[in-house]
Amino acid sequence: MENRPEKSIQVAQLRRQITRLEQGRPCGDEAPIPSGCGPLDRLLPERGFRRGTLTEWLADGAGSGVETLALGAAAAACRDGRALVVLDRRGEFYPPAAARLGIELQNLIVVYAAGKADHAWALDQALRCPGVAAVLAWPEELDGRSFRRLQLAVEESDGLGLLIRPSAARHEPSWADVRLLVEPLPAVPEGNGRRQLRIHLLRCRGGIDGRSVDVEIDDETRTVHLAPRLAAATAHRRTAGA
Amino acid sequence: MLHETRRGVAEVVACSAEATVLGISPGMPLAEVAAIPSATSNFPGEQGSAKRVQGSGFRVQTGKFTANAHGQRPVGEQLVGKTPMATPQPAILPYDPPADREALETLAERCGRFSPMVAMEDAATPDSLLLDVTGLAHLFGGEISLAEKIVEDFHCNGLIARVAIADTIGTAWAVAHFSSSWGRPSSSFLVVPPGESLAALRPLPIEALRLPEKVVDLLHQLGVDRIEQLEALPRRELSSRFGPELLRRWDQAIGRLAEPVPAHQPTPEFRADWSPPQPTARKETIEAALEQLIRQVVATLIRSDRGVVRLECRLDGSGALPEDLTVGLFEPSVSAKHLFQLVQLHLERVRLRAPVSAVHVAAAVTAPLIHRQQAMFFCGDGNDSSRQRSRQLAALVDRLSSRLGRRAVVRARIVSDAQPELAWQRDPLLQGLRRRRRRKSLPADLPPRPLRLLRRPIALPATSIVPDGPPLRFHLGRHEHEVTHTWGPERIETGWWRGRTVGRDYYRIETATGRRFWLFRRLRDGRWFLHGTYE
Repeated sequence: MENRPEKSIQVAQLRRQITRLEQGRPCGDEAPIPSGCGPLDRLLPERGFRRGTLTEWLADGAGSGVETLALGAAAAACRDGRALVVLDRRGEFYPPAAARLGIELQNLIVVYAAGKADHAWALDQALRCPGVAAVLAWPEELDGRSFRRLQLAVEESDGLGLLIRPSAARHEPSWADVRLLVEPLPAVPEGNGRRQLRIHLLRCRGGIDGRSVDVEIDDETRTVHLAPRLAAATAHRRTAGA
Repeated sequence: MLHETRRGVAEVVACSAEATVLGISPGMPLAEVAAIPSATSNFPGEQGSAKRVQGSGFRVQTGKFTANAHGQRPVGEQLVGKTPMATPQPAILPYDPPADREALETLAERCGRFSPMVAMEDAATPDSLLLDVTGLAHLFGGEISLAEKIVEDFHCNGLIARVAIADTIGTAWAVAHFSSSWGRPSSSFLVVPPGESLAALRPLPIEALRLPEKVVDLLHQLGVDRIEQLEALPRRELSSRFGPELLRRWDQAIGRLAEPVPAHQPTPEFRADWSPPQPTARKETIEAALEQLIRQVVATLIRSDRGVVRLECRLDGSGALPEDLTVGLFEPSVSAKHLFQLVQLHLERVRLRAPVSAVHVAAAVTAPLIHRQQAMFFCGDGNDSSRQRSRQLAALVDRLSSRLGRRAVVRARIVSDAQPELAWQRDPLLQGLRRRRRRKSLPADLPPRPLRLLRRPIALPATSIVPDGPPLRFHLGRHEHEVTHTWGPERIETGWWRGRTVGRDYYRIETATGRRFWLFRRLRDGRWFLHGTYE
């Protein structure tokens, strides 16, 4: 009984070492970046996103809520005072709303890179910069090679790359550490006006793929928590055997 | 040190303290120096040939206007030569006017502490500095005290200065150069009281009027040696006999004619140019030249402790318009590598229309380096690694702005404006970052705003049940959305002072599939628009 917590710490350390070895990176004990969404953290093997990795957020159509979740992770990453770079292609990003999600506007740099080449270049540069905690971007096409290059770039900086892509990209090869699919769900009567989202963990290095979690976001208080009805129906959680 | 006077006699321009001990003084003919026994061994052979010993003699001049000083440059090591301990043997070096001028410029900059207006004497080989001290003396405790302080400051620099303060530049100059009191050991400055310019000038030789050599010679031939003699001559005839210059100088000296102070601008230009032997279109060559020039410019900047804020590079083509590669920086930089990379980013996008015949690099805007990186982004611990990271971030901003344009890399600033699209402003990071504005945030009681705000609201075919109520369903693209939840309306009526009155009823809505949008109905005509999406 006494050595149980010790064991779990050891397991966590070993797991971290294994992933480091897999990635060919030096062993470090850096704390992961929380996703800003507790239920999602619990799906991830390290309870957050690893530093120096890319995260793909797939969603379809407008108004899905995916950016709210991604910005939650960005806000958590920027808590150390480093910058958040938003590469806005269409000039529609609205910083006042981001400020409400906890983004410090002093730390936010919005970059307008309309052309494809410019966007790819700016993304690479921003990911590579150690002064940047997180980069939020909407890359349109991403072939395997340029994806790999982005991953190498972000490894240099220990930042977090948040790539928002259409769900059609789920069949493409990925160099992202974590790939998530976000689906809006119809509101439920007991939801009290909170928006309901389902997050599928499509792919995760060192974790168990294919799980999903339902969360609800309170627009007013800007908090994300587990949707109550799924807290009861733990169908997806059963597989978390470890 | 030697000074070649007008009559071909070499004379000492400047000398060190050791030389002074030997009895050498500035203005002494070189032949006399030769007569001093211990000074002769290094004496240059050709005595008659005019030689100037290196080093410099200058006079600083100001008045109510200017004090005027005469500096004796201590070229100690040169004068003492290789055997400093025993009997010092002065080395006599030729006079070097450009070096002299440079040294005087340095001194002019140093004099900035006494007056905001420091000028070099307007002459072929200037040896005086002019300081406009009008209305400044009380800051230093009076004119005498000011003169003392200047002398002292020069003394700390190892220079002996003659300072004269007078009503006009002309008088100050004349007194500083020719006053008989300089010979006395205690005198290092002279203050001509206000209104006594003429009295001070009278006993001085006519050379003190800064006249051309020809005029001086002519006057001497006529037996006019002193200014008081000149005063006795009829004014009308002076001009016709001796030319306009005499009267101009005379009037300037007594204050009848204004004389501008040709202010010395202490900020030097930071620029470098290069021309290839033959016009070239090879980018490698041009890049190499640019890199070299940037390094040169940066080297001069480092010396003055300034960094580049805007670097202008120009490629002159033969027969074509010059190509302009200008880069701006987020913070002053003296990193040649970084600057070159920025220029390179530019150059990559340039198609040369003609072979390049000249490359110019200039630091158009510079700023002191002292305030480098004061936590623009990192208010935290301020340790080395965070400073390092913030410098890298500044470099990133430079690169992005260099390629995408200044206006494409911005920081958001909340503005108090009710109209959603005007509620924030884009502040380019490359400018105005120093003037921090008071930070505002959106009022907390505002309903949530969408993360994406369309640049132009999209008109929607929508239906609502109640005439002024929320929408029931709407079409967006090919999809029809059924509205299940609405929040609102939030009425925004504003902008009449801009001439474009905006009246809108905003609704947050959720569709049957759980998507959220921000719609408004235009109050003017009741039409529906999509303005944002809650992504």
